[in-house]
Amino acid sequence: MELYIGGYAQGKLEYVRRQHPEEDVRIKNGFHLWVRELMEEGKDPEAETQRFLKEHPDAIIISDEIGNGIVPTDAFERDYRERLGRILIRIAAEAERVERVICGIGQRIK
Amino acid sequence: MLILIIGGSGSGKSAYAEELLAHSDKEKYYLATMCADDAESRKRIARHKKQREGRGFHTLELPRHVSQAVSLMPNPMQSSVLLECMSNLTANEMFWDGGCSQCSEKELAERIGNDVLALSQNVATLIVVTNNVFEDGVCYEKTTEKYLRVLAQINRRMAKEADRMIEVVVGIPIEGKGTI
Repeated sequence: MELYIGGYAQGKLEYVRRQHPEEDVRIKNGFHLWVRELMEEGKDPEAETQRFLKEHPDAIIISDEIGNGIVPTDAFERDYRERLGRILIRIAAEAERVERVICGIGQRIK
Repeated sequence: MLILIIGGSGSGKSAYAEELLAHSDKEKYYLATMCADDAESRKRIARHKKQREGRGFHTLELPRHVSQAVSLMPNPMQSSVLLECMSNLTANEMFWDGGCSQCSEKELAERIGNDVLALSQNVATLIVVTNNVFEDGVCYEKTTEKYLRVLAQINRRMAKEADRMIEVVVGIPIEGKGTI
């Protein structure tokens, strides 16, 4: 399993596709939005993530980094940032490779 | 020794800072700045307390004037202190009871920075946790933008004075200055 993180529109998907040509089937793009949708539906994103990883042990996960801003006044937005952050920490701990992408350039941090 | 740790919300910066403190061979102090005035703060404080349980940390609580912590420790020069966190301390110094949101940016940044550096000079090791709140591209109202500039000035000064600066991303420490 691999994790690619970075800011909005930093070229993460393109970067991942260059590293892994013809492996789109492994890629889970927009992971942050998936977590957000689960939260909006009142589901448990931590449990859903564990289930997803069990079913897709070789997944390539792409997520926006959303925690580097002023803490929002809206409780849901605060919860979203905090929970996505903690979920990504768990994914990173299990991943064989973690890269941060900025301006389309990847920096391997694990 | 001064160590600066920066990360965003839910980045794992506090857990990493606590790991560093736990490995210290000195007396270990956790200096908390958060004022619990609502359920969410209390919950957050409870989570951090649970994270620290059984690690032999003494907890000090000072919402402002953190250098006063020195007088609360029997052997400050034989003590390691984790200050959690700079963003909260800055907010308290600006907006909490007796805080000064009207003071100039320069005055605020200098006063808060001096206070933290005074603490650092009087203990064996000071680990400062700060928050990366600077990358959401949102235009805020004037007071919030002033707060951002004050905190950023303090962070830059801390990083300059620090022996080590570490950014924590998804729980992974990234060396900014010094060696991990």
